[in-house]
Amino acid sequence: MQDRAFVAVVDDDESVREALPDLVREFGYEAGAFASAEEFLASGCLAQTRCLLLDIAMLGMSGLDLQRELARRGQAVPIVFITAHGDESVRVRLREGGAVECLLKPFSDTALLEALDAAVGSGARASALRPKMGGT
Amino acid sequence: MEAEQPGAEIQRLQLCINDLVGILALPATWVRGEPPAIVESLLDSLMRMVHLDLVYLRLRDPVGDAPRELVRFDRWRQDAPRPQEVGQLLSPWLDADPQAWPARLAIGGTVGGADLAILPQRLGLHGEIGLLVAGAARAGFPRETERLLISVMANQATVGLQGARHLSEQKRVAEELDRRVARRTAELAAANAELRRQMAERRQAEEALAANERNLDQIINSIPGLVWSTRTDGTAEFFNQRYLDYVGRLSGAMQGWGWAAAVHPNDLPGLIDAWRSIRAQGRSGEAEARLRRFDGAYRRFLLRVNPLHDEEGAVVRWFGINTDIEDWKEAQDELRDTQAELARVTRVMTMGQLTASIAHEINQPLSGIMTNASTCLRMLGADPPNVAGALETARRTIRDGKRASDVIARLRDLFGKRGTAAEAVDLNRATEEVIALTSTELQRCGVSLRMELADDLPPVTGDRVQLQQVILNLVLNAAEAMRDVDERQRELRIATGRLEAGGVCLAVTDSGVGFDPAAVETLFNPFYTTKSDGMGIGLSVSRSIVQNHQGRLWAEPNEGAGATFRLSLPCRDGSPGGMAAAAGQAGHP
Repeated sequence: MQDRAFVAVVDDDESVREALPDLVREFGYEAGAFASAEEFLASGCLAQTRCLLLDIAMLGMSGLDLQRELARRGQAVPIVFITAHGDESVRVRLREGGAVECLLKPFSDTALLEALDAAVGSGARASALRPKMGGT
Repeated sequence: MEAEQPGAEIQRLQLCINDLVGILALPATWVRGEPPAIVESLLDSLMRMVHLDLVYLRLRDPVGDAPRELVRFDRWRQDAPRPQEVGQLLSPWLDADPQAWPARLAIGGTVGGADLAILPQRLGLHGEIGLLVAGAARAGFPRETERLLISVMANQATVGLQGARHLSEQKRVAEELDRRVARRTAELAAANAELRRQMAERRQAEEALAANERNLDQIINSIPGLVWSTRTDGTAEFFNQRYLDYVGRLSGAMQGWGWAAAVHPNDLPGLIDAWRSIRAQGRSGEAEARLRRFDGAYRRFLLRVNPLHDEEGAVVRWFGINTDIEDWKEAQDELRDTQAELARVTRVMTMGQLTASIAHEINQPLSGIMTNASTCLRMLGADPPNVAGALETARRTIRDGKRASDVIARLRDLFGKRGTAAEAVDLNRATEEVIALTSTELQRCGVSLRMELADDLPPVTGDRVQLQQVILNLVLNAAEAMRDVDERQRELRIATGRLEAGGVCLAVTDSGVGFDPAAVETLFNPFYTTKSDGMGIGLSVSRSIVQNHQGRLWAEPNEGAGATFRLSLPCRDGSPGGMAAAAGQAGHP
């Protein structure tokens, strides 16, 4: 399983941290969940992280704060933002700001998969074996 | 006695007999005669018949108007001694027995006087009427016939004077009686006049009292209220005319507990209980009830009653007045409806303000549902299927669905159109539900929230949604006040607690821009706002909601930055219901 890329889910909502990593794993990635940006930075997983699924509005350090922090450190980790507050204009702005994608809740599994594949590259997941998926 | 000629003797006796007849006739002339006339005629007759030189009469006691002493002289018509002088001369013998008197006396010494032979004669057996003294200078006086004449004359005078004395006494008694009768008559007349005066006074007083009573009657019957009184056992004894006209019944039918028939059947049990309770406490009280008008229509009344005490402080009677509050109640109801509608409109406007937060609240579980359902499908489609994982994700799907429906239910509760309700409201839970809808918004605004909810908070009575609207409004205002604050922590503190005076309170404290303490009341004016996008009716509506709950809403500047908004509400158990003793009002700090 060493060839699977690691996707980090950073969200202060517990149900998201419960549900999202399972789906990401179903796609063939490795996944881990973090309750805050600070927890993620402190976890030591940054180096192996191939993609960040990042909530925007969090207490303390927000998703955007983390993005700036990573840029400051010169860590070019692809970021897919997730938000329940956003609209199309937000999405466009975030993509222009360097994010791979911005998913507006609720989003479909295919939208998520496309965003991850775009961020990491589909070869980085053990999903070639899957004959059938939940969406097209 | 010297011998005389028989012819002369016979002639003398005849004269004497004539004189005696004349004397005996005298009393007939004295009948009802006045005493002065009696004594005058006595003395004149003696002088004439007996040829005396002196006659002196002295009365022992007054008889009518007759003089006490009287005297006649034959000789000294000029310079005759006065009766008192003769009395003075005779005084040594006046009380003596006639036998002891001297035979002769010298009388009238001042003018040469004369030596007279005197004959004293008592008037009355023991001289009780008085004394008669006859005197003559001639020798031989008194002869037997003269002695006889004087003696008879004295007897006649005694009889006459006694009669006159009786007459005088009778007259005196009659006069005294007249005087007494007159005095008594005058007294009676005075008493009669006094009685008349008193009767007149009493009549005046009674007329004044009657006029006063008529005036009181007019007042009692003109007062714009139904006036009544009862005995201490609660049975009625008086109703004013307005009351009787209103119910269209006679006083007799209302006596005792008859009045209860005019009370709305649904209000009667509560009213009877309240009436019993007020009487038991012996203090003034009030109640509300519907009373049936003569035409069958029911109108709401405020019934107020006061006890009347005697000197010892015991209640002897109750006086009450019922005031028609139907129109006032209707206006109040309309006002309440209007306020409720305004509150609803402001809630809807608040919802606009919360749209982003609400979308987040709903999107969050929806997102969970989609993620979990997708995972579930993929797990089941795998080869081999991951059934255990699929079961877990399906359970999460259901949980998130429940979470979404809870949000919808809260939204509907808070923003849906519904009537006002009076229910038991737990202020802590109401607050928590509001926070559940606003925590995202607070988070978005970078506000940290501190909740300090008191344990065992007693419930209040009221409309939960309206009270939640007030809390929501205070929370959003606080967030708004901190929007532009960057130099310090944006902190919102919500605390609940009990009040010492009874009741509960809720405080919302922010670290925002605060307000000008001088303008504190303008905060609650309608259309006062510091927001560019607000209408400024939130606090105004909030205050009217709290006041409709018999509570207060006010603002205080903080010691440090920001402001605190507080609301106090009476507890459900201590809240004044439809009926309560007047002293039972809930107090506020």
